[in-house]
Amino acid sequence: MIELQGLTKRYAGKTVVDDITLTFETGEFAVLIGPSGCGKSTTLKMINRLIPASGGRITLGGEDVAALPVEQLRRRIGYAIQSTGLFPHWSVARNVATVPQLLKWPRSRIDDRVDELLAMFHLDPTTFRDKLPHQLSGGQAQRVGVARALAADPEVLLMDEPFGAVDPITREVLQTEMRRVHQQTGKTIVFVTHDMDEALSLATRIALLNDGKLVQYERPVEMMVEPADDFVREFIGQADLGLKLLSRRWVHQYQRPPSVAPRDALPEPGSHWWMIDDAGRPTALAGARLDDEDAVTRVKAEWTATPEMSMKEALSRMVWYRVMVLPVVDESGQLIAEVGMQGVMGIERGPGANASSTRAAGNGALSDNDGGDPA
Amino acid sequence: MTDAAAPSSSAERRSPLIGNRVLLTLVVVCLLGVGLLPFASMAPNRLVSGQSMSTWAAFAPWQLVTLAGLLALLALASFAHLMPRRPGHAVALAAALALLALDFVALGGYAHRALADASPAARVSQGSAFWVLLFAAGLIMIDALQRLRPPPVWRALYAATALTLVGVCFATDLLSPLSIMREFANQRDNFVDQLTRHLALVAGALVPALVVGLPLGLLARRRPGARNVLFSVLNVFQTLPSIAVFGLLIAPLAALAAALPWLREVGVGGIGAAPALIALVLYSLLPIVRNTYAGLAGVAPGTLEAARGMGMTARQILWRVEIPLALPVILSGLRIVTVQAIGLTVVAALIGAGGLGAFIFQGLGQYAIDLVLLGAIPTIVLAVVADFTLQLLVALSRPTRAGQG
Repeated sequence: MIELQGLTKRYAGKTVVDDITLTFETGEFAVLIGPSGCGKSTTLKMINRLIPASGGRITLGGEDVAALPVEQLRRRIGYAIQSTGLFPHWSVARNVATVPQLLKWPRSRIDDRVDELLAMFHLDPTTFRDKLPHQLSGGQAQRVGVARALAADPEVLLMDEPFGAVDPITREVLQTEMRRVHQQTGKTIVFVTHDMDEALSLATRIALLNDGKLVQYERPVEMMVEPADDFVREFIGQADLGLKLLSRRWVHQYQRPPSVAPRDALPEPGSHWWMIDDAGRPTALAGARLDDEDAVTRVKAEWTATPEMSMKEALSRMVWYRVMVLPVVDESGQLIAEVGMQGVMGIERGPGANASSTRAAGNGALSDNDGGDPA
Repeated sequence: MTDAAAPSSSAERRSPLIGNRVLLTLVVVCLLGVGLLPFASMAPNRLVSGQSMSTWAAFAPWQLVTLAGLLALLALASFAHLMPRRPGHAVALAAALALLALDFVALGGYAHRALADASPAARVSQGSAFWVLLFAAGLIMIDALQRLRPPPVWRALYAATALTLVGVCFATDLLSPLSIMREFANQRDNFVDQLTRHLALVAGALVPALVVGLPLGLLARRRPGARNVLFSVLNVFQTLPSIAVFGLLIAPLAALAAALPWLREVGVGGIGAAPALIALVLYSLLPIVRNTYAGLAGVAPGTLEAARGMGMTARQILWRVEIPLALPVILSGLRIVTVQAIGLTVVAALIGAGGLGAFIFQGLGQYAIDLVLLGAIPTIVLAVVADFTLQLLVALSRPTRAGQG
């Protein structure tokens, strides 16, 4: 557990970190986020005293960090940074072994630990032990950087924009691995980023900073639903928040009973009907085309939905295939429901649903989601 | 250079006729030298100038055939269409080695033949064509090595082979009739003395320069305020001409030695080793301090931040991270300074410091070219060997050295 109490940093009369008080609970994956210059990196570096605090107190497991010998303190805290900071003249194994060597672990224990960590990050020890950092790809180097930070089994892991310099695909892979490592090790992690997507995908708690002040410290979904002020709302909103919420919602939460047509009948203007075959499979859609209200469109597998599909995916199919509504089918292909544009927006016109009840269902889904968040 | 004779057809069409222009130029230079310049000269005694002998007259028939063969092979290796690139460089390396040996063997052979029935005072000296072949062979080696880029160990082995070859030529009886070797034989003890003295002066300058320069470089890195002052002062030293510094030191040192007799007893005076060493140290400081600073400053900030964040002490960071990473740059500075000191020590002979320069100035005074060469050639060899050795160390000290990628 790390507690910041009234933490303050002033540079030449300018206050860059202003009286921050918050607690990182044991096992928390806390993300410090905010616009550049908000003091998030400074706050992080005051924890391992790379930057001395001007005021306030930091305790690590109840001990005041200022009272500990600085090198001892840092050896208890893992540290990973954006440029990886791997020592270019040392092999991967020696890099990972940095802190254990400083702590004078016996050789065999160090070797075992290095292999264990490389394996944890899916780097085959026999291949990677003796490589030099310049022989690694960006993603591999970053994995080694994190493995090195974890080497001496520190109580806390500090990460300063560790994935800021890798390409988006590698970053997503690394984030997935980081979530897994957090679950496996149960470490307290304090992670700095300026990328809200990254924060939402990793954090169990997000601390949003602005101008050196703590604006809100909250769990991700709560922060999305109840932003403390307009700054928080705007900051989160930059990250496609609407789509992000939809990616955590499922078709079965939005679907409604389908309107099935008598064979060959045409729908009234402004409404639509599904045509189904004898097995109950949808064959065609009459109406509800974006470009042509009266058209009859043959149903294709590419634009059907399943109850388990995310609403983001369903929306994407609607937009791409230019239909206002998708058939929802079960495993046998039978039409069981439909989901439409209005459903996405939370506006219902269909039978048995009105606007207020749909919104209530939507909020219920949110709280469900919150508990079952994969992070 | 576009010397790629790649097997793919599109590259083949674009590849030039001549793969290695440098090599071809050197072959042409060799031909011109051999054709137009004297290979050796023979004089009745050491003071008069001798009669020139062309290559045709000096070489034995089999040597002429070998020379023609080697030059033809080298010319062949320079044409991209006749020889693939990398084998071409290897052939050039081997042929250059043979050319070097042939140059010495032909000169020694000629001297033996010419002096067999001449008076004991008669002298045989090497001529311009000999030097042309020698330097062309050296340049071909350097060029081919740079193109081939073998690992440091192979480079070292090749250089050792070339040096051994030359060493064997000198160690055996082959070159003994040459004027320069007779000069050497006359001066043998003196030569060893002066060579030792030369090396002692270089080492005597480098050790204090390193002892002072490395900490100063560290200071410049740690204290930006001190850096500017330090570099300005050291720059002034570097701009002063060496002769002027040697001269300038005479008066104050002489005065100092007169005032403090114990200084005179340990050998300090206006002339001799003391002013030479002082000047050499001063000249060596700037490159050492500058490269130490540049090497330390070149360590990536992220690496240092990680080292601190891992909990290394300042001393551990210096010895385990900063110095190993700065080492290639520091050694480059040492290389500059070593080569520079070997050359400057020659000039120090002017103020009575001794060393190989003594032969050069003595020879100039007596118009005895062979005596000049006795001082000049070992100086050049020393400089080249020092340069090559330190280059090798620089290459080996790089963390991203070739052969591991």
